[in-house]
Amino acid sequence: MRTIEPWVERPLTTFVAEAQVRVALLMTSSGQVVAQHGFTRSLDVMTAAALGAGIVASTREIAREMSAGTFGAVVHQGPRLGVYLMPFEMPGGTWIGLAVFGPDTSLGIVQLFFGKLVDDLVREAPREAPTRQVLPETFEDDLNQSLRALFGR
Amino acid sequence: MTSREQTVLDDVTRIGGVRSALLVSADDGLVVAESSVEGQHTEAAAAFAARLAQRLTVLTRTLQTPPMSMLLLQASGGQLFITQGGEGLLFVAITSNDVNIGEVRLALLDAAGRIA
Amino acid sequence: MTDDIASMTLKLAQDPASLVFLPLAESLRKRGQLDAALTVAARGAARYPELADAHDLVARIQSDRGAGDDAFDAWTSVLRLVPDHLGAHKGLAFLSYRTGDLGRSVKHLTRALELAPTDTSLAGAIERLRTLMATRAESVNPPEADRIPVTPEADRGRPATEQTPTLLFDQQGRVMQGTLARADGVDASDAVAAALAGVSREAERATRLLDLGEWRAIAIESGAVNYELRTPTPETLLLVMRGREVPAGRLARIADRAVERARQWLEDIV
Repeated sequence: MRTIEPWVERPLTTFVAEAQVRVALLMTSSGQVVAQHGFTRSLDVMTAAALGAGIVASTREIAREMSAGTFGAVVHQGPRLGVYLMPFEMPGGTWIGLAVFGPDTSLGIVQLFFGKLVDDLVREAPREAPTRQVLPETFEDDLNQSLRALFGR
Repeated sequence: MTSREQTVLDDVTRIGGVRSALLVSADDGLVVAESSVEGQHTEAAAAFAARLAQRLTVLTRTLQTPPMSMLLLQASGGQLFITQGGEGLLFVAITSNDVNIGEVRLALLDAAGRIA
Repeated sequence: MTDDIASMTLKLAQDPASLVFLPLAESLRKRGQLDAALTVAARGAARYPELADAHDLVARIQSDRGAGDDAFDAWTSVLRLVPDHLGAHKGLAFLSYRTGDLGRSVKHLTRALELAPTDTSLAGAIERLRTLMATRAESVNPPEADRIPVTPEADRGRPATEQTPTLLFDQQGRVMQGTLARADGVDASDAVAAALAGVSREAERATRLLDLGEWRAIAIESGAVNYELRTPTPETLLLVMRGREVPAGRLARIADRAVERARQWLEDIV
């Protein structure tokens, strides 16, 4: 597991162990990676973060167009693997969680422990720390900076 | 969720000692319908009930006995009943330990029959 | 305990040649931190290859981890250094029993009894194993005889068809005692033990998060068959099965008695 924010590590470790997910990724709504577990290549993290942020953004836009309020989790259930993607509010803005899980767990278990992960993150987030605005023009730099921190490159 | 499912679940929670009754998707472990007497962890109960049922299905498959029709998990602070609730569904009840096990068992089997 | 471990860890860090690794690894083992305990003990045993107690500690940790082959090697090393090491004879007796080598198990227990003649549990274990060996020799169906130690008292004297198939296995899915057969008579003991190994942790997690306390039993109805799953000890699981003609309440009593016998057997054999 690699994290940019040290206080994220304990809640995410607990989530991975309890929910028995194979891959977990926490990112901001702009795709800036905060922590990852289970990825072995930086390219995979970059792709997952970009796609995850994009899916959440487009789902929100659809909800807005339909005047449907907000959608919750986005779930894709395949025969061997499932993907759970869920935006949630943190003190500094919206974050997105992405989890990939296999038949050794279930959507209900993942959803249950994701709720606990969010509670833990909100509780442990430093309140006084200034939140850095992630501007569109710095997106790529932020992403690369995150990846360097996560993979030691 | 239909009013018929809600009525069936409400009938189960009327039994003394039953804290909540749920209809759960067997594969996902998600709550389909619920009736709770008080603030219960219904989301957790659904997730774990489906997981336990899946794990114990391996037992009956291995020993070539028919699929599980009823499962009762007994603990120091309460009990978890699980029964098949039709296609891809489970009926789940959380009760105290002073409940009449036979009555809850029959009520769940009856509920499963009414929903199927 | 935590303070002790911290101070012993500090002492070992300051002086890697210190023998404090022995109590430190033992404390970690007792706390269930088996990987950490093994690291400490294995380093100590490598530094002091002639120290029998270091190898004995490694063996006990490996046994706790379910690594029977590694435990066997470590206890064999102990006996090369100290042929009369009581703990090594007991440990090898247990491992031999687990692998079905009853003769070797009795041999190690007998030597242990010579070294500790007042230990009545050793005498009891030898007697049980000898009875089991004699029954096996007489029987054309060894698995049936293997069921004896945990067969409920209520089943004694009953024809085999009315007895309670009972399986005792550890949390790693390895059969310790008894057999379960499929309807067509094929032995399914190993498959059942492997399938149910993680159920205890699953049940424990469920009851913890649902505020139901400690789990005690899982009763399963499956057509014409009822099952009851118990945990005689934190490391073991016991499954009993009977036809539906045995009411659930009676099966629970049968399971109670099987649990008692399993606990007694486990105490005797270790």
